[in-house]
Amino acid sequence: MSLFKRQDSLPIPPLDAETYTTVCQYCSAGCGYNVYVWPEKKSGTAKSNAFHVDLSKQAQLLSGFSYTETMHNVITRKNGHRYHLAIIAAKESRINKGDYSIRGGTNALTAYTPTGYTRDRLKDPLLRKGNGFVAISWDHAVEIIATLTKSSMDKYGADSIAMKFYDHGSSGLGFEDNWGAGKLFLSGIKTQYLSIHNRPAYNSEVWGSRERGMHELNYDVDDARLADTIVLWGANAYEGATVFYTEHIMPNLQGGSIDEKKREFAAGEPAEEGRIVIIDPRKNATTTVSQDICAERVLHLRPNLGTDWILANALARIVWENSWYDGDYLLKRTDMSTFEAYRNKSLELATPFDTLLANAEKITGISRKEMEEAAAWIAKPKAGGFRRRTLTLYEKGIIWNMKNYDQVAAIAQLSVMTHNVGRPGTGCGRLGGHQEGYVRPPAPTPGSIYAGGPPKNVDKYITGGGGKIYWVGATDPYLSTPNSKFFKKSVKKRAANLLDYLDNGGIPSDPKAYVAKVLEAFKKTDGLFMIVQDIYKTHTAEDAMLILPAAGWGEAVDTSVNCHSRLLRIYDKFMDAPGEALPDWKILALVGNKLKALYEAEGNKEMAERFSGMDWKTDAEVFEAGSHEFGDNRVAETDEARLSAECYKGVTHEMLRKLGNEGIQTPVRQDPVTGKLVGTKRRYQYSFATKDGLFKWYGTDAWTGYPEEVAKYIDNPTYPFWFTTGRSQHVWQTMYHDKRIPEKILSLPLPYVEIHPDDAVKLNLDTGDMAEVFNEEGSCLALVYVNDATKPGLVFGLMFHERGTMNDLTSSYTDPKTTMPWYKGTKVGVKKYTGKLDDAIKTVSLLSNNDVTIK
Amino acid sequence: MSTISRRKFIQTTSASALLFFAGLNREGQAASPKGYPAKKIGNIKDLKVNEPVTFTYPDDKSPCVLVKVDNEAIGGVGKGKNIVSFSTICTHMGCPLAYNKGRLVCKCHYSMFDVSRNGQTYQGLASQWVAQIVLRLDAGTGNIYAEGVEGLIYGRIGNLKMS
Repeated sequence: MSLFKRQDSLPIPPLDAETYTTVCQYCSAGCGYNVYVWPEKKSGTAKSNAFHVDLSKQAQLLSGFSYTETMHNVITRKNGHRYHLAIIAAKESRINKGDYSIRGGTNALTAYTPTGYTRDRLKDPLLRKGNGFVAISWDHAVEIIATLTKSSMDKYGADSIAMKFYDHGSSGLGFEDNWGAGKLFLSGIKTQYLSIHNRPAYNSEVWGSRERGMHELNYDVDDARLADTIVLWGANAYEGATVFYTEHIMPNLQGGSIDEKKREFAAGEPAEEGRIVIIDPRKNATTTVSQDICAERVLHLRPNLGTDWILANALARIVWENSWYDGDYLLKRTDMSTFEAYRNKSLELATPFDTLLANAEKITGISRKEMEEAAAWIAKPKAGGFRRRTLTLYEKGIIWNMKNYDQVAAIAQLSVMTHNVGRPGTGCGRLGGHQEGYVRPPAPTPGSIYAGGPPKNVDKYITGGGGKIYWVGATDPYLSTPNSKFFKKSVKKRAANLLDYLDNGGIPSDPKAYVAKVLEAFKKTDGLFMIVQDIYKTHTAEDAMLILPAAGWGEAVDTSVNCHSRLLRIYDKFMDAPGEALPDWKILALVGNKLKALYEAEGNKEMAERFSGMDWKTDAEVFEAGSHEFGDNRVAETDEARLSAECYKGVTHEMLRKLGNEGIQTPVRQDPVTGKLVGTKRRYQYSFATKDGLFKWYGTDAWTGYPEEVAKYIDNPTYPFWFTTGRSQHVWQTMYHDKRIPEKILSLPLPYVEIHPDDAVKLNLDTGDMAEVFNEEGSCLALVYVNDATKPGLVFGLMFHERGTMNDLTSSYTDPKTTMPWYKGTKVGVKKYTGKLDDAIKTVSLLSNNDVTIK
Repeated sequence: MSTISRRKFIQTTSASALLFFAGLNREGQAASPKGYPAKKIGNIKDLKVNEPVTFTYPDDKSPCVLVKVDNEAIGGVGKGKNIVSFSTICTHMGCPLAYNKGRLVCKCHYSMFDVSRNGQTYQGLASQWVAQIVLRLDAGTGNIYAEGVEGLIYGRIGNLKMS
């Protein structure tokens, strides 16, 4: 009766099993894991095993040892032998304390096995020949890429090469791969047409905070347990950073961290159960779970799409009128010469208070009463006059909102005005998506429009016919880029034009002849040579000319930091990559070294020099090489703000291996007195990251309505619904692993939308029906859930699914200050689809995932 | 579960999903269907929709629930294929599961399992679907028997390996 093969017992690792520490490959929480590998024929016993747990007894709830069906697999190493693999959440990690999510709990199932779910991993470089691909050697692939890149640079300039590469940690291999990509693209090729995995440009998602002097990862997990109030702003923590919510936010809401508060707070300061303000147009499970725990301490504000900075400024104005700000702190730690702009444009002190709030009500859809309550929960001093401790975390609901820069800046400024940064229980920054692990040479665009920007929009460059070579690394823009239908159509056409030219007379096998023919095609067509470097053949790879097989998590040594403590740990190698797959840094180094040799051969020392410094032999060497980018970190604790947030200078792989799940928090500094490496728990206690150490204020724009790309739909009755997107608890990103794992794909077989019951009646839709969501950009066929997660007039869609992406509907609009897209808002029409996809419907749960209450 | 209802189930459920995963067996040790006791856990005439009955299986340390739902369920027995049974230890970290409105809910971290859909985690943290109890309905007497477990009961190295 099971939909897939189940286990009713699990193998036991013997005492001498190999053990490793790692961190989950998925979300920003970065849960610690222990890895056990042992030969298939060997076994421990219930009493004597590498877990050092008595497995003969039923595990106790919560404190017991969690080893489930999804935590085991059998791998084959390159020596031809089979090994058991168990990946278990680490109890000794202060991040997760043995807890794990539905994503991390399946880490073992994602391991490469030659006959299992992941058997279709990429194993060899693949070169397109007509309609298919042929496997080629690395030498062949590298020669094509390097000679083609060089010829294209020499003839058309560096900007003829465009790239889209991940810049994060965890599933992409953190600092090592990022340094590799940085050396090749930023130091070597020096193209301006760089873009990051999930957006069309090479930009920070939070310049609005960084340009104030505040890096977005400035808090510690402990702060979520110490805060009086937690604000989640466009940040679905329960479904996106799950274990951070269950281990750090939830205990606070339940009152389980009051003793910790008493220890940390000032004498006489009230220490109570935490409150939470959730600002999200959707009533998602973060809201309903919080309400189930403590309804009276949950405030849920549901602003109209694209209006959050108006709301943040209105809250700041309420704080101002009530004098809930910290005046001494503002004078001491912020640049009051910049405050006037904030006072005039964000607080709008020239506008009467009542008028301002009435305007804000109209724009945001949030009532004055709700705004006043939220402002009080954020900033009203506690009994005895003690300043409230508020931790404010925002994520894609803000970052991918209409005005990226102003929304982030407005929230950062609200937090600094109330001195909710740099104290225990406070902080203001990103909840995070991935973990991080960024170290690269300086980017060509240093900042927003106010700091040398904006950066180039690579999507528009490519779709407009720009560039000759487009190198995509570990991302699937056919699903994930905004306005993806148009992007896909344009790239497909350019790839086909190149292929048509190459096919005419046959595609040469000899690399030199092949490259010569591609160069001819560059001259005579608008052809695009796309290289896709990934672990699976992605949707985008359909139109690649060359596909490069990369090693994944656990197949190379990786180092990254999580988002909620900037905790640097080692993600050790415990299995072999399939076939010829290599770590990304190694692939990039092969190309860089070849380019260096090609320039040396023609005596061009200057160009050869640009590609030097990539002759690393090991991952540890790449890690060390990257560390020099951080400069001198011999600073005192009081000068931590001078360090880059992810600075790890002086740390080695060997040291991290010894530290295991304990890790060390970046920025790491070398203490000037003791010479020892010291981590940083919490940031900006003493100063901000500006030249003079003072926080810089900024005056946000006034409300001027919606950009043309979305405004065109506003009064059009064909598109009556506002539309926003987000993620699901089950699956990670584009489902690249999850679509292969039955526990995931059977429970999420289709893209889905959530529709409010009032709208469902009008549309004659019920849960389990299919609907077409459409606008002038594109359409998507989706399974319907009718529930109260959305408001009437608002439709929510799962951002992308392997069987359809909602980005076909999103516009190409980007914030002109940062080139950051507005993924989270457009308008659509919805039509019932009369066909039935019975196969999928029979396995998928039709229960509503935001209904968590037992009635 | 009887052979007949198993065959009917395969006819009616997700054919493509089953075909796909049939070719991709999870690596590891085969489940051992043998060794489970047969235990009478109820009679069809005593079951009312959404009124769960608790029992233990395969031993007295393993709490389970037997429930009749108001729709056809994967692995369900009875005329409406709507009688199903599951372990009530959450597969995430071992907390007790409560039956409510077609689902099993864990109040520790809010994992929720759909009893009509093979015990799948449709929300929450549990990466393993909850273990489903194999049922046999004796057509003559209406007695319902537990005869096996599909999936691992939380907190055990094997369903039948407790001391």
